[in-house]
Amino acid sequence: MLVIFWILILVFRMKFLYNLIQLWEKYFLLLTNDLQKAIQLLDSQLLDVLISITLFILIPALFLFFRKKLKFLSININFSLAVLLTLLLAFVFAPIITDENPEFQKDLRMTKLLPPFSKVKVLHLKAGDISNSSAAEKFIAFKNQIVKQSYANNIIFIDNIKRKPDKIIYLQKEKSGELDLNRVQLKNNKSIVTNKSFILGTDEFGRDIFTRLVYGVRISILVGLGSVVVSLLIGLSLGFIAGTRGGIIDIIFSRLTDLFLAFPIIYLIILILAMFGNSLLTVIIVLGLSGWMSLFKIVKSEVLSVKNKDYITSAVMMGLPKMTILTKEILPVIMIPIIVNVIFQFSNVILAESALSYLGLGTGNSYPSWGAMIESGQQYITKAWWMILFPGIILIFTLFSANNLGKNLNKANISVMH
Amino acid sequence: MNKVFIKSLSKRIVTSIITLFLLVSFLFVLTRLSPGDPTQKYLSAEFSPELKEKVTASFKLDQPIFNQYINFVANIFKGNFGISYGYRQPVLSVVWQFLSFTLVFATLSFLLQIIVSSFLAFKSIRNKGKLFDRSVLNISLIVYAIPAFVLGLSLIYIFSIQLDLFPSSGLRSLDFESNSFFGKIGDYIYHLSLPLITLSLAGIALFYKYLRESLEDVYQQNFILNLKASGYDQSTILKKHVLPNAVRPLLSIAGIELGILLGGALITEVIFSLPGMGRLMMDSIFARDYPLVIGCALTAGVLMIASNFLADMIKMKLDKRLIKGLIN
Repeated sequence: MLVIFWILILVFRMKFLYNLIQLWEKYFLLLTNDLQKAIQLLDSQLLDVLISITLFILIPALFLFFRKKLKFLSININFSLAVLLTLLLAFVFAPIITDENPEFQKDLRMTKLLPPFSKVKVLHLKAGDISNSSAAEKFIAFKNQIVKQSYANNIIFIDNIKRKPDKIIYLQKEKSGELDLNRVQLKNNKSIVTNKSFILGTDEFGRDIFTRLVYGVRISILVGLGSVVVSLLIGLSLGFIAGTRGGIIDIIFSRLTDLFLAFPIIYLIILILAMFGNSLLTVIIVLGLSGWMSLFKIVKSEVLSVKNKDYITSAVMMGLPKMTILTKEILPVIMIPIIVNVIFQFSNVILAESALSYLGLGTGNSYPSWGAMIESGQQYITKAWWMILFPGIILIFTLFSANNLGKNLNKANISVMH
Repeated sequence: MNKVFIKSLSKRIVTSIITLFLLVSFLFVLTRLSPGDPTQKYLSAEFSPELKEKVTASFKLDQPIFNQYINFVANIFKGNFGISYGYRQPVLSVVWQFLSFTLVFATLSFLLQIIVSSFLAFKSIRNKGKLFDRSVLNISLIVYAIPAFVLGLSLIYIFSIQLDLFPSSGLRSLDFESNSFFGKIGDYIYHLSLPLITLSLAGIALFYKYLRESLEDVYQQNFILNLKASGYDQSTILKKHVLPNAVRPLLSIAGIELGILLGGALITEVIFSLPGMGRLMMDSIFARDYPLVIGCALTAGVLMIASNFLADMIKMKLDKRLIKGLIN
């Protein structure tokens, strides 16, 4: 599976990878020459690209090196595991899988609401002259060539062109424009026209849906993992305290769980997000806060059932510290039910995040999110079905795989216990 | 027996009331803590600060929070939930307008879920391992993973836009009043079919999964084999011995599901623009209509607890051993 991914990327993105490696090299040179400037230039996008290309080279090397120790990699891969693994890869390698910018928009007239597999002709213009500028500026120009920005000055989307002796007339639907010959890139005295394809079509702002889906993985996984960690921390600690102490603390925590379970939790989430503002961080925290109840119940009941076993008593008698008993004696026993629960929780959170984005209470507009994509597709449902279909399918696959994985693990756990 | 029952029943009622009270207080604190001004929707402070103060005073938001809370608690015990800022009506009457739709809608959806899923489950346990069983099982897994908004929009695209069979939103046609009684009911059904499918499919898949699993479990038990060997006919075994045992895990799920449905099917209501509790709740949150938010939350909480309670009662009816467990 992983090998297939690497081969696919190598085949389809050969040139891009080569460029990225060059970029890394140039950045390294810049780092050694002009440290301050280099650090100034390091924005999140550049960092993202550099990290993913580094990992892309490092991971196969590490695998080759530690081949013998990584036996768990040879487990059978079924459909759901493959989907989740693909999502994980897309999370890390988003800038390599697609070389577009998720926010890229240009010439709306030409690129708006294109159906899947459509191609648009691109006229390439000359870039600014960079022959006699400093090393840093050269690097910036090179970077902008490779790492795509959300806007590009040196291309125009066109329907058709007509060549005149001293200028070029291009057509964009009903509108036409002209360009001087010296502004257009020429090759054998002909202007360069290439095709740009949009595999899954474009949205209402002419943004590539495939790219947005790949980057949308990041939001979903980030929110999923983040809030699962939050609820794991809360559920585990409260459950452990309630299970070991009992008494009044147990009663208080149990009432608290009842309180959270006593009315549809989605309204509480909406209430908090609507009143206190929604951002990536608040969404993660609120979703995490709303999902700890089942974990709390599981941990509490497991701790209660384990507490009076002989080996725990002997551990207490031996005077082991509480943390050691928790991590060494209790956690391994309750690990699998917790993992199963965490996987279900993960799929719940992804669903909740996309539903919130659909309702306009998501993580904001700075990142593409599947739910928000579906929400914007709703307005164009008569014209552009692909805006809903593809994010919807990805969402269904993700949820299905997570549910399936949880179910299989649960089944395996039960059969081990019997 | 009866004494134990009454004791645990009263204990349960008391804990439910405490939980609801805590819930309402929690929401009260949350709404008062949040930034944002409920009066802003009606008038701007820039135009006339005096008028704004008047409105704030009329909402009783000018008093210290502690006094507000005392007032609020006193009023709740009198059954008075205040007046909605937006609707200018008592909260309970606003809630009732929307609740009536939700009650009908949720009950219909719930019945649909139970009937379809049990039909499928019985049919597939009879054809266990055959093509029907396997395909329904796999389809149910996929259906369960479809989010409501994807499903709803797909249904709208297929049935409203491409085939033009069902309306995509609303509850009544324009010529609703001119219809006869049955025509009106027909019109409601015509408008509610897509929302009902959207709301019910995931529940059908869930119930189907649980019911099929527990039916399979029960059928594998020894006492069923004994009954079969003794020559009881299939339907008696099913009705008297399998069903009461198999339905128990389903009932807990059904209680929770009914509670969630009665609290309002937010996403479905938003997609098909239906007047239900979910949208009322969301709109009141966005409008910062504090009394209405709390009224809605309390209604949803009461319905949730009541439906869980109902499920437990039915479970207890089936299995007398569970009476003591009623408390939790």
